[in-house]
Formats: sequence, structure tokens, C-alpha cells
Amino acid sequence: MIDRYFARALVILALLMLHVPLMAQEKTGTKEGFALAPGSVRIALVDPNIRVGEQSTGGLFEPNADWTQQARENLEREITRALGTLGNEVVRVNLNTTPQGDSLRRYNALFGAVASSVVEYQFFPGNRLPTKKQDKSFEWTVGPGLREVLALEGYDYILMIRTSDAYGSGGRKALQMVGLLAGVAVTSGEHIGMAGLVDIKTGDLVWLNADLQMGGDPRTPEGAAKRVSQLLEGFPGAPVPGAATTGK
Amino acid sequence: MKRPLLLAALAVAASATVPADAVDKLGTLAPYTPAYEPQGVDERGMWMMADEVEKLLAVSELRIGDEELNRYVERVLCDTVGSDRCAGVRVHILNIPAFNATMYPNGAMTVWSGLLLRVRSEAELGAVLGHEFAHFEMRHSLRGFEQRRKATDALAWLSVLGGFTQANTTSSQFSILSSVFQFNRAQETEADLQGLRYLAQSPYPSRAASEVWQHLMEEADATAAGRKLKRTDSYRAGFFDTHPTELSRASYLLDQALVYGDAGDGRSKDYYAAMKKHLPKFLADQVKLNDLNGTDYILNGIAGTTGWTGELLHARAEMFAARGNPRDLVTATTLYLQAVESGYRSPETVRGLGLSLVKSGKRSEGAKYLEEYLAALPEAPDASIIKLYVSQ
Amino acid sequence: MFRRFAAIALSALLVATPGSAHKVIESGSPAKILNGAILVKPQSRWNRLQQRAGTFQEVWTIDGDRLNKIVFYAGVPVGQPLLRERSKKRDPLPKVAANMLLPDIPVLLERTYRTQYGLAIMSIGKQEPATLGGQPAIAFQYSFIDPDFEVETKGEAVAVMLKGKLYLVAFEAPSTFYFDRDVAKFRELTRTVTLSGA
Repeated sequence: MIDRYFARALVILALLMLHVPLMAQEKTGTKEGFALAPGSVRIALVDPNIRVGEQSTGGLFEPNADWTQQARENLEREITRALGTLGNEVVRVNLNTTPQGDSLRRYNALFGAVASSVVEYQFFPGNRLPTKKQDKSFEWTVGPGLREVLALEGYDYILMIRTSDAYGSGGRKALQMVGLLAGVAVTSGEHIGMAGLVDIKTGDLVWLNADLQMGGDPRTPEGAAKRVSQLLEGFPGAPVPGAATTGK
Repeated sequence: MKRPLLLAALAVAASATVPADAVDKLGTLAPYTPAYEPQGVDERGMWMMADEVEKLLAVSELRIGDEELNRYVERVLCDTVGSDRCAGVRVHILNIPAFNATMYPNGAMTVWSGLLLRVRSEAELGAVLGHEFAHFEMRHSLRGFEQRRKATDALAWLSVLGGFTQANTTSSQFSILSSVFQFNRAQETEADLQGLRYLAQSPYPSRAASEVWQHLMEEADATAAGRKLKRTDSYRAGFFDTHPTELSRASYLLDQALVYGDAGDGRSKDYYAAMKKHLPKFLADQVKLNDLNGTDYILNGIAGTTGWTGELLHARAEMFAARGNPRDLVTATTLYLQAVESGYRSPETVRGLGLSLVKSGKRSEGAKYLEEYLAALPEAPDASIIKLYVSQ
Repeated sequence: MFRRFAAIALSALLVATPGSAHKVIESGSPAKILNGAILVKPQSRWNRLQQRAGTFQEVWTIDGDRLNKIVFYAGVPVGQPLLRERSKKRDPLPKVAANMLLPDIPVLLERTYRTQYGLAIMSIGKQEPATLGGQPAIAFQYSFIDPDFEVETKGEAVAVMLKGKLYLVAFEAPSTFYFDRDVAKFRELTRTVTLSGA
């Protein structure tokens, strides 16, 4: 509820997945020809939007502060570690305390709009914009003005992370079983994640990964490791350690 | 409205019949415990989200940052609930032209510009702020959330069960949803009565609370009449309205106020003096809402205290000019002229007057006023388009 | 709000059949808007979105409707709103009026958007004489905050009342990057407009 554009993207994602099963969904897009040389870059991790809660029988999201706090710590640590093993440096940039946070905030919001456009108009081939039909093309950007943002000085890329986890309550799980019998699709729990990498020099979105059904319980260190490996699946350049082995 | 709904989603709602024990002759307030910290998983979760909402509020474009106005609204809150209580609250005034105020569990309160436009005295403002504060003191958001969960649970089961029989479950869904809001209504009523206790102990008369709802009902009637809706429909803003009907509210609040029998000065004139600087902007936003009759009711309400000032006449003229039926033009022109005669000769007024005259076929008279507009604001963003109607 | 949005998205999607959702508008060839109420000859490639928010409306985009779009209101008759009303009774939109002057058109758009999209903040900027399809028209700028994404959005429009019908062509995009990048394509397009009523 806080991050509206993210939420809207999730709604689109959910609708497309639930109601248009005919359309295969792609999960990852990478700018053509882009690869990240290991050990060479500094990545700014801007305010990851992470929330964890419970899903009641009715599907209402119930925030859980303790779980969210655990997940934040676990995920941020894992991301830093996973990308760090590639020799890249990940630094947490906080929108509220960074000088000139306002202009970064504008780009953060624009990233949300761009990411939702990618999901809606690119990841679902049936809904793809005709001018973006070429199979390999992945041309999305927040614009070259990004390099003027002082808060990003000294960084090469921004990593945007958004995850939402709702664990099905007992009632929800029971409902899911009844729904199966009745032929009504009921999802129990919600594990949605999105990760994107933006090149600060060009503003181009060089990689985006979005999935409605992620694995790994970010509340635990092991689960967070699995989640991060899935979030970073298809990360351009050298494979992220662990990512290659965790399929779904 | 999407945005307000979203901001309000965490805020508490609710209410209907007065509990029997509510008649409390002294209007005594229980001692207040400050610096409450959230307990338990649900409550900490609500606070965490509220904290994040408040961070967004702080940088929101909707925020009206005007120091004086913020201090004033805070002062009215403190005068209503007492300075020990109000210390735990942070008020954020938002530029949203709808009647609302919201209270978050962490002590953040939003007050919308549409509320400031509608209340007619400090006492009425205090009545609404006190009501919101009561949700906070009674920690309703937590209980409301727990209750909403139960209701949506039932809904989900129904939609699945409906799948079995292909039956249309719509009507059952309606009754279940209504039952949720009936529960929440109990909280609203609780907050209403607690709010009344604050008022009764404040310098303001507690009767003001009932008046707020009477005025809202009358406005809703006016809007409904303008839109040719049935009157009775108008007391529910929508199916999801979580508030008790204004009618029962107005009546139980009045009954209880009579029991308290307190007197006081509602400070109406002071209220409008404090709003003076902001009134033209609040009016302009309201006028753009395409609700001529409802807006007209609001204007009349303000005029009841301040008389028909130039600002009010101008706003009324703009409303008719925008609708633009042939007879509306006559009304608009007359009102603009009255505003000018009352001494309110703002550039916007002579612009509106000029355009109304042009539309009525009186091009040369209109041009005179449009020239005056251009002379007053030569750099106006619409200067070059307005010139089209001067040089012909 | 999710409910409402979900309903819109869902209805749009259910009508959609995979592969045929949106149509390409090729550069250099003439294109008809709404059965020819407006004719244009774009000099760049666009996508015509399948979903429409009103009988007289058509939307073109390059990267998706949140990143850049041209909205055509093609011949809205007197007495009609610009967009489909959510509820004629509860959320009525302002209607096109016969006696509207050019400066009244931005006001109509602002009132429509404020009501339909629940915008609390929207402002009209520079307004100037222009031509559309050879007719004396108004060009104006505006801005608002996209309520879904909290992205500041800029708009530019050219409009005219012609024989009791409103023709309005608008470009909207986030003020960060997209507006400035694509507005020239819109301005170029407006110069190629032919109005059926002219």
C-alpha cells in the first residue's frame, strides 16, 4: 500500500497471470548485448521496498513488522554478499537521508512506472506493443539525466529491489483446497519480487527480473539466500553464485 | 478519488446506535496515558506502515506547508482535547477538496482542505478533530483491522462456494460487507461520543458536533437534487462508506449535547479570519468538482457568517460560467458584476466577467474587462489567448 | 482503488486476444482516428492501444501509456463528456458546451481529469493561439501528479471547437525525461492534422 506504483505493477502482473493464462509470461529482460564485467562496478541499492505479512482467508494483506524487519536485514545482507562475491561493491543509499534525495526520489518513482510498463507491455508477448515486437529488443530507460543526480556520484548502477511476501494463514490454505475442488483459482500466499538494474551513465534499464511466484523465505537467512539468488536470476554478466542451481 | 482512498486506507473508520451506557452526564474523561508503544504483531505492523505513510506525507506535493495554518489547526485540536492529549499528534494538512480527516495509529493525523472549507467555526473543526483523536486514543485501527479481516474471510469463502453452484453471490456479498461496516460503525459511534466528551470539557459548545453532520446531510441533499438522485441515497457516499448515517449521528450527538448542556463560543468569525488567506484556493478547487448544487450549499453556509463577500460571489460566478448553459451565462455575469461592486476586483474576476460578456454576444463590453485583466497581469499564462478577444 | 483499477485492467484484458491487442501506426502513412474524425500523417512510429476510456477517445503510445501517450478526443459533440463517466449520477463529468470559447477548453480538461482521476493537484500553464487542421485553435500546457505512480506528468494539447464538436489532441508524459524527449514528435504530428468537420 505504501508503494503505489509497485502495487499497481503487481496488480497488472497478477491479473495477467491469473486471467490470461494463454499468455506465457517472460520473467527476465536484458538489454541486448549488455554484460557486467565482474569486479568492476559500484552499485547503489536504493531503498528496497520489502514487506512481509500474512494473507488472511479473505486475501487481505496483514503487515508484520517483525517479519519485515528480518526480511530487510536478511535480503540486504544477501544482496550485498551475492554481488560482492562477483567483486562488485553494493552500497545502501537511503532516500530520506541522502542530500538531494528529491531528484533521486523522482527517478525512483519513474523507475516504478517504467518497470510496470515492461511487465505489462513486454513480458507478456500477447500484450506487447507492436513497435517493441522484436524478440531480443529490450529498450527501456529512465533517461540520461540520471547521471546528473548528485546522490549517485561515484556509482555505476542502481539496483532496485521490490518484494512482497504474504504467507497464507491456515484459513487461506483451507480455502485454497476447497477452491481447487470448486474449480476456482485461489492462491495461498503471495511471493512477488522484482529486481532491476539501471545504468547511471545512460539511465537505461539494463536488466529487469519480475516474478509473481518466488521461492525462499526471506525471514530466514537461508531463505533469503535462495530468494536473492532468484531475484538475481538472469543478472547480466557472470552468473551470481548460487543462482544457477536454484531453479523452480 | 484514488489517492485519498489510499492514504486513508490505514486510517480508521466506522458506526450506528448509541450504546445504552453512553449517556454520561458529566462528560468525564479518563486519565490519558501518553507515549504509547505498539503491542503485538498486528499493532506493530500497523504502526510500521503508518510510519511509512507519514514519511510520504512529509514530502507529499499535497501537503499545505503554511506554518500559520498548521499552527492554527493544531491549536484548535489542543483546545478541544486538551494539551496533554494533543502532544502525541502530528497534524498534516492536505490539499484535497473532500470532507475528510484521517487518523493513523502512530499519531499522524491528516486534515483535508475540503474539511476546512466546510466547517463553519472552530468548534465544528474541533468536533471533527476530536472525533479523529478519539480513534487514536481508543486504538481503533487495530480492532478495525481485526474485524475487517474476519469479514473479508467470509467473503472469500462465499466466492469459492459460489463457484460450486454457479450461483450469483452478489447479494450475499453485499450483506456481508454491510455487516462489517456495522461493526465498524460501533467504533465510529464510540469515537463520536468520546469526541463529544472532549468538546464538552473544552471552551467550545458540544452542540457543534451535531451541526457538522446536519450540514453534511444538507449538502448531500443539495448535490443529490442537482444530480436528480433520490434524497435518501445521498446519505451514503457509496456502498463502502464506513460511517454511520449522518442522520443518526446528528441526532444522537444532539441528544447527548443537550445532556451535557454546556455552552461556549464556537468562534465562527475567528475561524473565517484564519481561513481568509486560503479560502480563494479552497473555493477554486471545490468549484472544479462539477457539483454545482453542493458547492452552492457550501457557499451559502460560509455566507451565513461572513456575508456574501467578493470571494464567494466570484466562486459562485465561476461555477455557473463553467457549466455554460445559456441562462448560466446571465447568472455568471450578474455574479461577477456583484463581486466587482463589492470591491473584489481581482484579475480573475474581470477575466471571468469579460469572457461571460463575450459569450453573451457583448463583445465590446467584454473586451473592456479583458483589457483590464491583461493590464493587471500582462505576463499571465493565458495573456496571448485572451488578447484574441480584445483586438477584434 | 485497486478494485477499480483491477476492473478496468481486467475488462481491457478479457477483450484482448493475444497477438492482436495493439496496432502499429507506421511512420509516413496516413492514419484515421475514430473512423476518420481526425486524420494525421505521423512522422514517427506509434502503437494504437486497444483500450479506450471513452467513445470519442483514442490513445497512442511509444513505450506504454504511463511513459508517453497521445490522446485524441475526436469530435466530442455538445452535451457529451470527454471520457466515459464512471457513474452518470454520482461522478458526472463536465460536458462540452456550445458556447465554449477557446480559453474554456483547458478548464474543461482540468475539471474532467480532477473528477475522473481524483487529481487533487492539476494546473494549467501557458495558453496560446495556435491552429489545428487549419482552424484557429488553442495550444496549452498542463501538469499533474499521476496518482498511481506519483510521477509528475506534463501535458500539452491543441484544441478547437468546430461546428459544435470539440477536437482535442494531447500529449502526456512524465516530466522527468519522457516529456522532453517525445514532445517534438507530438508537435510534428499536430501539424499534419485534418479535421473531418472542417
